[in-house]
Amino acid sequence: MKRYQSIQLVFILLGSLVLLFILAPLLGMFLKTSPQSLFETAKDKEVTGSIWLTIWTSMAATSLFAVAAIPLAYLLARKKFPLKKLVTGIIDLPIVIPHSAAGIAILGFVSRDTVMGKIGSAIGLNFIGNPAGIAIAMAFVSIPYLINAARDGFAGVPERIEKAALTLGATPARVFFTISLPLAWRNVVSGLILMFARGMSEFGAVIVVAYHPMITPVLIYERFGAFGLKYARPVSVLFILISLALFIMLRWLAKERNSEVAK
Amino acid sequence: MMKKYFLLFITALISICMFGQHKNNAILGDLIIYHAGSLSVPFKEIAAEFNKLYPDVKILLESAGSVASARKITDLNRPCDIMASSDYGVIDNMLIPKYADWNIKFVSNELSIVYQEKSRLAGQINSKNWYELLMKKEVAFGRADPNADPCGYRTVISFQLAENFYKKPGLAKMISDKDQNYIRPKEVDLLALLESGSIDYIFIYRSVAIQHNLKYLALPDEINLKSMDFAAQYATAAIEINGKEPGKKETVKGEPMVYGVTMLRDAPNKPAAIAFLQFLLARDKGMKIMEKNGQPSVLPMVSKNYDKLPKELKPFAKQEK
Repeated sequence: MKRYQSIQLVFILLGSLVLLFILAPLLGMFLKTSPQSLFETAKDKEVTGSIWLTIWTSMAATSLFAVAAIPLAYLLARKKFPLKKLVTGIIDLPIVIPHSAAGIAILGFVSRDTVMGKIGSAIGLNFIGNPAGIAIAMAFVSIPYLINAARDGFAGVPERIEKAALTLGATPARVFFTISLPLAWRNVVSGLILMFARGMSEFGAVIVVAYHPMITPVLIYERFGAFGLKYARPVSVLFILISLALFIMLRWLAKERNSEVAK
Repeated sequence: MMKKYFLLFITALISICMFGQHKNNAILGDLIIYHAGSLSVPFKEIAAEFNKLYPDVKILLESAGSVASARKITDLNRPCDIMASSDYGVIDNMLIPKYADWNIKFVSNELSIVYQEKSRLAGQINSKNWYELLMKKEVAFGRADPNADPCGYRTVISFQLAENFYKKPGLAKMISDKDQNYIRPKEVDLLALLESGSIDYIFIYRSVAIQHNLKYLALPDEINLKSMDFAAQYATAAIEINGKEPGKKETVKGEPMVYGVTMLRDAPNKPAAIAFLQFLLARDKGMKIMEKNGQPSVLPMVSKNYDKLPKELKPFAKQEK
C-alpha cells in the first residue's frame, strides 16, 4: 500500500512541474501586462480583426482538409499496403520541416506559374497575400496532428464490430458513419482541435506566403518590431485568452456529443 | 622528492602567469553582431576574413530588419557587441543615448529594380518605361513594408521622387496602391517571392542584386537615393510611418541612404568589437569587401558624437564643424 502511494506522489510532483513549466512563462507575460493596456488592445479594430482572421482561416483550413484527412486516417488504421511505413513517415514530415522552409515550399506550389496558381487565377483567386494562401500554409503544418489522432482513434475501434455490422447487411459507408466514426470520435475531435490550434499559431510558413492580411502571430511580430514589447504583449495575452476560451468550449461540446453517442 | 614538487610548482606558476598575460592581450571570445538583412552577404565575407587574422573570435551574426535589431537590444535586453543598420537614423533614434554613444556612417547603397531573366517583360524594361510596365496587370512587383524596414520607406519616397522627375502626377499613389499583397517585412524576404516566380520585379538595394547574381535596372540618381549631390532634391519627398505607439505616426524625409554602425555601451566583448570595427572600416580590408559587394564607402562622414568615439575609430569619422 505504501509503495503505491509514493508512486502517486511522484507522479503528482512531476506533473506539477510540467504544468508549472507551461504556466510560468505565460503567467510572467500576463503579470507584466496592465489591465488597461489589455482593455485598449481589445478595443483596437486591427487586433480584433486579426484575431478573427486567424480563427476563421484555421477553422476553414481544418474543416476543408478534414474531409480528406479523416478517410486517409481510416485507411491507415485498417489497411495494409506496400510502403505503408513510408507513407506514415511522409505524413509526419510537415511537423519537422522548418517553418520558413515550409512557407517557401508552399510558395513554389501555389505561385502564379504553377498548376495550382493557374487554377486559382481562373477563378480569380491569388493565393499569395490572401486568406486562401494563409489557410493552405496553416493546413500544411498542422494536418499531421489530425491524421495521426484520427488514425489512433480508428485503430482503437474493434474490427469485429465493423465486420459484425457488415454481416448483418450494412454497407461499408453506413458502417463508417454509424460505427467507426462515432466510436473514434473522441480522438478525431482531439485531432481536429490540435490541427485548429496548431494552424492558429503558425508564423514562419504563413509570413512567407502572406504578410497582409495579418494573422495574429504576424501582427504580434510586427507590433514588437515597430513598437516594442509593451505593445506586443497585450496582443499576445488577448490572443491566448481567446484561444483558451475557444478550446475549453470546443472540448466541452465534444464531450457532450460523446455522451450522447454513449447512450 | 621535494625538488620534483618544487619544479612542478614553478612550472605551474610560470604557465599561469603566461596564460594570464596571453588572455589580457588576446582578441578572443564570442562577438555578437546584429545587422541589417542587406548586409548579410558582405558581413559573412568580412567575418571570414577577420577570422583569418583573429582565429579565436567566434563571430555570431544575426540578421534582421534594422528596427527589429534595435528592439532586440532595447526591449529584449539581448546582449550585443555591434549593431549595423541600413539606416544610421535607426541607431541615432533608438540606441543613442541609452544604449550607445556614437555612430559611424560607413557605406551607402542605391535603390533599384531587381528581376530575373524569366520575369515578365524583362527584355523591355528600362529607366524610362519602368513605371508603365509595372502598372500592367500581368506584371507583379514586391516591396518592403515601410513600417518595418528602411528599404520600405525608401521605396515609397523614391516613388514620390519619380512622380516629380518623370512629371507624372499621381504616379506615386498609383504604384503604391498596386500589388500590396506582395509587401513583405524585410527586403530580403522579397527574394523568396522573386526567385519562386511569384513576382517579376522587386524594389530592393542594388547591392542585394549583385550579391545574388540577379539582374537589376539602375534608376536615375535623382530618385534612387544614392548620391549626396541630390540630398536637397531627396528631401522634397516624405512619408508617414508608424510612430512610437500604435495610432501615432512619424514623418520620414527623403535623404541619401547611409548605413551606420556602432558598438553598444554594454558590449560584452569590447576588445574584439573594436578590432572588428577597425577591420571593417579599413579601406583595404572590410571596405574593399563592401565595395566588391556593391556598397560604396562613404568614409569619413561627419559623426555627431565624434568626441565619444574610441580613439582607434576616430580616423574613420569627421568632426562636426
